[in-house]
Amino acid sequence: MRDACFFGALMVYFAATAMQFAGVALKRTKLTAAAAKVFAAGLVLHTVYSVWRGVDASRLPLANQFEFASGFAWACAVLGVVLHLRMKQDWVLTVSAPAAFLVTSYAAFQPMEIKDLMPALRSVWFGLHIGSAAFSYAAFAIAGGLGVYYLVKLSRGADAASTAMRQADYMAYRMICLGFLLLTVVILSGAIWAEQAWSSWWSWDPKETWALITWIIYAIYLHQRLRLNWQGKRMAILAIISLVCVLFTFAGVNILLPGLHSYA
Amino acid sequence: MKKILRFLRSMTFGMILLCGVLVCSFAGSMIPQQRDAMHYVNLYGGRAAMLILALRFDNVFSAPYFIALMAALCLNLLLCSVLRVRSLRGSADRLKDGAMAAKCTAVSAEQAEKLRAHFAAKRWRCEQRNGTALYTAHLAGYYGSFLTHLALLALLVVGGLVLAGAEVIDRTVMPGSSITLEDGARVSVQDFRIEDETGRLDFMSTVQITAPDGRQSEMTPIRVNEPLRYGVYKVYQQTYGTAGSVTVVNEATGGSERIALTEPAFLTLDGVNGVYFQMLYAGYTVDENGNFTLIGSTSGEYDDPVYDIRVIADGETTAVLAFPGDEMSVGGVAFRFEPPVSYPGLRIKRQSGALLGALYASFVLITAGLYMCFFLRPVCVAVGGDGYAVHSPKQQMGLQLEIEGLLEKEDHGQ
Ligand code: HEM
Repeated sequence: MRDACFFGALMVYFAATAMQFAGVALKRTKLTAAAAKVFAAGLVLHTVYSVWRGVDASRLPLANQFEFASGFAWACAVLGVVLHLRMKQDWVLTVSAPAAFLVTSYAAFQPMEIKDLMPALRSVWFGLHIGSAAFSYAAFAIAGGLGVYYLVKLSRGADAASTAMRQADYMAYRMICLGFLLLTVVILSGAIWAEQAWSSWWSWDPKETWALITWIIYAIYLHQRLRLNWQGKRMAILAIISLVCVLFTFAGVNILLPGLHSYA
Repeated sequence: MKKILRFLRSMTFGMILLCGVLVCSFAGSMIPQQRDAMHYVNLYGGRAAMLILALRFDNVFSAPYFIALMAALCLNLLLCSVLRVRSLRGSADRLKDGAMAAKCTAVSAEQAEKLRAHFAAKRWRCEQRNGTALYTAHLAGYYGSFLTHLALLALLVVGGLVLAGAEVIDRTVMPGSSITLEDGARVSVQDFRIEDETGRLDFMSTVQITAPDGRQSEMTPIRVNEPLRYGVYKVYQQTYGTAGSVTVVNEATGGSERIALTEPAFLTLDGVNGVYFQMLYAGYTVDENGNFTLIGSTSGEYDDPVYDIRVIADGETTAVLAFPGDEMSVGGVAFRFEPPVSYPGLRIKRQSGALLGALYASFVLITAGLYMCFFLRPVCVAVGGDGYAVHSPKQQMGLQLEIEGLLEKEDHGQ
């Protein structure tokens, strides 16, 4: 029953994505409005699942690749719903619904059984470090999604100077600001935690190194925006490239470069 | 000279350096670090291995060019934050001047009133200038970038000192015993166990630190994530092992001692007769002919422990398997084999508390600086009788939307 909530959320996210895309393509506002409601229902289901799993495991459900991916997808949905409530813009769901759906799909392919928390993860830093990572990745995913949205719109003849396009560009930047602040918290809290657990602040472990690489790439993004006043297309491309880096840190490192974070 | 200084403090130079760190980090994550030359030859072939070794890609993060890169980044951050701090003075006045000079969006008198009420309700600071109300907010944000860069500089410098200055010693200590460090400090281990009360895996030692001046910490349980900190010392539960244990009694004096057997050892009183401990095995199997096959421990479990020993007496050596509870007398010594004991591997670190404080402060300041950069975005809204203007050093699309929404609502209301 508990896992049914997870797969239910997955299907509801898919339905919201399909409805949103159809609504935007057919210019049916009723359909996109319904998509928003369906998406919110998916978030409720996903929240029920996460709380249920947390209660069953007697801990935060963020301890392995499945749980972290599920948390990442949940954070995409939370950001999507909050932004939608605040901004009521089409792009919010067009970007956040597929992000939540794709990340939940990735989670669905991971082993789902609940395991006891290994000693290294029993720490007060667990929630802050991993929770910030989930929201940071979600913010970057939405920024990268907005980059794709921007480029698609541009290729279909949208005017880069129009309010809608400037807004998409600006919101990608703001999402990157949020993600960057949270990624900084992830790296710093990780350093404090590593010192508590392993005695060394920084070990150049692949996960740490890739978090740093991601952080530097986003720092370059922020500075290029200031230094050369880059906006629009270039920033969209950089947001997408940076997202690839985030995804590698999230999943690629675990598969290709095992290290101290191998349990993640 | 001025040109060089301008380049050294420039964001362009900063970005070049960050790209350098990026390339090194990429190489360091893709190429296994600190292996011997043959490892690279086997992995990549002779030529590529030569290149990796020549470029120091086998140990990128300690290579001179990486350290030079970090030093240059520190210099760049120092110059960029210190030389720019002067330009922060008077920024609030410039912000207001900018708002006064900015292009005005025309609104009705009622809309202007609505805007005034809106910003007053948000408690933005208000100043009147020539009949125009200047509402300012988030002026602290001007210092965000300065704080971020200075704190980053502190992090790099203090972090470098912390990494270079920490003295780390790894020791195994038997439960019930202690070790003395070079500076005279002592670490005592009362007990060690590998499971908690509920049977869950949890490596825990109970330890006490005695400083060289004799002051002592409490006996404190330590486990992964919960080291014991006392003064400049920090003791970590790092690893664990299992040792054989034997009680020896001098049959002449009655004196006894419990000895932990972690490596091969000859236990003797006269140097000739005694028991040579070879190895502790985790278990054994016996075939139909009564032959023993000994099983080493791979999981750390010792379910049916067996001591592989040689009894040396009167010039004869006999191979013997001893089990916990077995007793024997050799060369005037009574040996009693006990169940194996688990013992902790401790890591003891000596680190200056002041440096740690500075490091934590830099962490907090970076986070606060970034928050100020991103979420306290200085802004001034000038509201006159017939229009308003928004001025800010940063994009203010959210505020623009907020104002447009407010005025639109008014239009609909009318
Ligand atoms: C090492 C990593 C660095 C990080 C994390 C970082 C972070 C930041 C942030 C968050 C901002 C504000 C961006 C925004 O508001 O959109 C900023 C602005 C800036 N950064 Fe950096 N920075 C770094 C390195 C550097 C370096 C090496 C320089 C070299 C000069 C530099 C120069 C600047 C300048 C001039 C600004 C604009 C100042 C302003 O807006 O008031 N940064 N930086």
